[in-house]
Amino acid sequence: MTNQTQDLEPRRVSQVGLRAIGRAILRHKLARVGLVIATLLICMAIFAPFIAPYDPNEQDLYNVLSGPTAKHWLGTDNVGRDLLSRVIYGSRVSMMVGVVATAMSATIGVFIGLVSGYRGGKVDMVIMRITDTVMCIPGLVFVLVMAAALGPGINNVIYAIVALGWCGFARIIRGQVLSVREQPFVEASRAVGAGGMRIMFKHLLPNSMAPIIVAATITLGGTIMLEASAAFLGLGVQPPTPSWGKELRTGYTYLERVPLFSIAPGLLITAAVLSFNFVGDGLRDALDPRLRGEGKKQ
Amino acid sequence: MNNLLLNVKNLKTQFLTDDGLVRAVDGVSFDLYEGETLGLVGESGCGKSVSALSLMRLIPNPPGKIVEGEIWFENRDLLQISEDEIREVRGNKIAMIFQEPMTSLNPVLTIGRQIAEPLELHRHMSKEQALGESVKLLGQVQIPEGKTRVKAWPHQFSGGMRQRVMIAMGLGCNPKLIIADEPTTALDVTIQAQLLQLMKNLTRDYGTALIVITHNLGIVARYADRVNVMYAGRIVEKGTARDIYGDPRHPYTVGLMASVPRLDQDVKTKLLPIEGQPPDLLHVPPGCSFNPRCRYAIEKCHQETPELVKIGEKHEVACWVDIRK
Amino acid sequence: MRQYIIRRLIYSTIILALVSVMVFGMVRLLPGDPIRAAMQANVDLTDDSIVQEVRARYGLDRPVHVQYVMWLRDFFFGDWGISLSSGEKVSEMFWRRLPVTLELFVGATFWAWLLGIPAGILGALKRNTYADATVTTFAIFGVSIPSFWEGILFIYLFAVILRIFPPSGFVPFSDNPIQNILSVFMPSFVMGTHAAGTLARYVRSSLLEVLGQDYIRTARAKGLKERAVVIKHAAKPALIPVVTIIGLSWGYLVAGSFIVEFMFAIPGLGRMGVDAIFARDFPVIQSVLIITALNVLAANFFVDILYGFLDPRVRVQK
Repeated sequence: MTNQTQDLEPRRVSQVGLRAIGRAILRHKLARVGLVIATLLICMAIFAPFIAPYDPNEQDLYNVLSGPTAKHWLGTDNVGRDLLSRVIYGSRVSMMVGVVATAMSATIGVFIGLVSGYRGGKVDMVIMRITDTVMCIPGLVFVLVMAAALGPGINNVIYAIVALGWCGFARIIRGQVLSVREQPFVEASRAVGAGGMRIMFKHLLPNSMAPIIVAATITLGGTIMLEASAAFLGLGVQPPTPSWGKELRTGYTYLERVPLFSIAPGLLITAAVLSFNFVGDGLRDALDPRLRGEGKKQ
Repeated sequence: MNNLLLNVKNLKTQFLTDDGLVRAVDGVSFDLYEGETLGLVGESGCGKSVSALSLMRLIPNPPGKIVEGEIWFENRDLLQISEDEIREVRGNKIAMIFQEPMTSLNPVLTIGRQIAEPLELHRHMSKEQALGESVKLLGQVQIPEGKTRVKAWPHQFSGGMRQRVMIAMGLGCNPKLIIADEPTTALDVTIQAQLLQLMKNLTRDYGTALIVITHNLGIVARYADRVNVMYAGRIVEKGTARDIYGDPRHPYTVGLMASVPRLDQDVKTKLLPIEGQPPDLLHVPPGCSFNPRCRYAIEKCHQETPELVKIGEKHEVACWVDIRK
Repeated sequence: MRQYIIRRLIYSTIILALVSVMVFGMVRLLPGDPIRAAMQANVDLTDDSIVQEVRARYGLDRPVHVQYVMWLRDFFFGDWGISLSSGEKVSEMFWRRLPVTLELFVGATFWAWLLGIPAGILGALKRNTYADATVTTFAIFGVSIPSFWEGILFIYLFAVILRIFPPSGFVPFSDNPIQNILSVFMPSFVMGTHAAGTLARYVRSSLLEVLGQDYIRTARAKGLKERAVVIKHAAKPALIPVVTIIGLSWGYLVAGSFIVEFMFAIPGLGRMGVDAIFARDFPVIQSVLIITALNVLAANFFVDILYGFLDPRVRVQK
């Protein structure tokens, strides 16, 4: 009798297991791929001077808009600069803007969200109406107008992005605070005499980190996209600094002549945004409680 | 003497989780007669709910699977019939009432729609007929003003009332068996009594058999004809309510009885909790799964798993030791 | 239910008012003296008295809050100012370009629903299979690919090489229906893919969440076929959060239109906005911003109403 059971089990296990294992690999695979790509791009940004074969601003007016050659793997742009080098250096702008803008948005947004959620009442209402107002204007439009208003240069693009970006974080953490606020351990802290700020930072914040991390990762992707879009339209870094969006704009102008010009920068923008979205997705799945309906052991 | 309604033989249901294989139900056999009320008792995780879900083949796959066993109902092995055929049984011949009334009803459909659904499906009633019948059913479960209530939404009902709706839903097609999985656990104590009495009356009036799954020994004592005690996926003792309460023979059953306060005990009597931790279903110890916590365990208990042995007219126990000695 | 609608309406109006303040402030920040810009073409700037006169005419010598009220009042009555670049009435520009952008929006929504909803459903029903993985990957791709790059690729493939669609330009429907469809095809597709990706992810996660609920188990226990369970019990609850996303997506199509109209040289509101920003054309920028916000608020409002119809629990809440 026992032997029969054992015969059955291995066969059954493999049938059930295939799906479960597939799931594990799948989820982790996407996030893993994203992580790899993201790391490569960050390294590209950091080590640009060592990787790039040429000075990105070195012009060679005898060798304009060449296609890929042995000397210039991606060809040259309209004033003879090596495209590969420009694209490599372009990662610096994108990564820098992405990281800085996201960090600033997250810091400001989390702080405001904490206050809003914890204080409640009028403060909360006012802050929420402000976020509603700001979020009425879609991202790119807001950034364009803001950046145009503040003046040229990449710093202003960052400020513009942050002026919009803090809202998302504020809302997320506020939601977290609202749900955590009524829990017993918060009351216990209050009973012991802990003040508002202490409670917020020591108790509420650590318990809300998960969604913030996920949001930050996805915001990073979105920020890179915003910067590239603004650059494509003409805002952002000043020439001659290379930026993916700007290179793509030039490439578009010469699309028929040198199609490769348009492929490289666009591919990298996509890769950057994609990688952070993959990672964010994977993180979200990992940090969320298991979807119900699976593994109920009752 | 009533007829045999349900005969379960060596049912085994397993779940493949990330952490390993869980043998949630590991060789469960029992029978049930028409009109009988059977109590299925045990602590959380012992496999009682999984057993019930297995009866209707409602085990989600993945990650679960019924790997062995036979479930004889109306001359058919429910585990062998087709998908279409088992669907005809669900909600029709066998109905189930779940534990969480707050989430077991669809929030965007009216009460009437939800009660009428099995009526339209299995009894082929028209929409109007089914709605009329729903109103009647609401009356049976003692929800007044059925005509207006039928158009209400679940969120407008309290937990106790929602559970009555679930009962009404279950009764609609006049099933031979109703399985109630912890029907009152989520409710207030006063409501619990009302609800159970209602179920008992209805099953008596309709001649329906009832399996009540619970960890509440009080319910079982009052309402069940027979009781199966489960531990770590197996049944360790079977008997009438009197057998189990008056003459428990399995160490686990003894422990359960001793850990619950009783009105006939002296106030000063200490409650004896069962030592040890609930079993880790991923790593079941060899031999009898209760042996780590058993004060009567002998050498054999660590080596061989005991089978159920008859010790009375309806009383069986799976233990190597006679604890009376 | 009516109370709910009224509440939402009041709320939207308040936000719109706040937006108008914000827009006013933002535009005031823009560098450049509007008067000088306006007058560049016509008048000699060195004469200060003329500058003062024009300034008075535009009301720029009055305090800021008065200017704000004046602007609001004018806007409400249909006077949206005069474009500093072209001298046209902004309202005329708007009404002329609206149908063009609207056509793009409708096309984009069409693509978004056509691609996104079935993909999301497929992903949820065939969870953790290769079909699901494909759906998820494509969805994230759709969201990650910059619309201008996607546009470039499409233009290169379909316009330059295959010569099926025109690389740019717009032909009104009244002139030539077929050419109209062709000229709108690529831009609306590019605009739609981003929304399609978002929609697919939300449909999938929403449906998955619903399918894991207890009431779905109850439905199965009643003996319903799996198909009936999904359609009768899962669809409506799953739709509720999706509807919210659809509303948000409509509002955010504006951002897409900025890029797409720019690239494909489509004379719509988005192009108007981009040109205005670079030309520092304040009246146009202000109007575009207000209209954009109005669009977002309106979409959200309708979605909220729809929400009330779908979810009976909402109507009773505060």
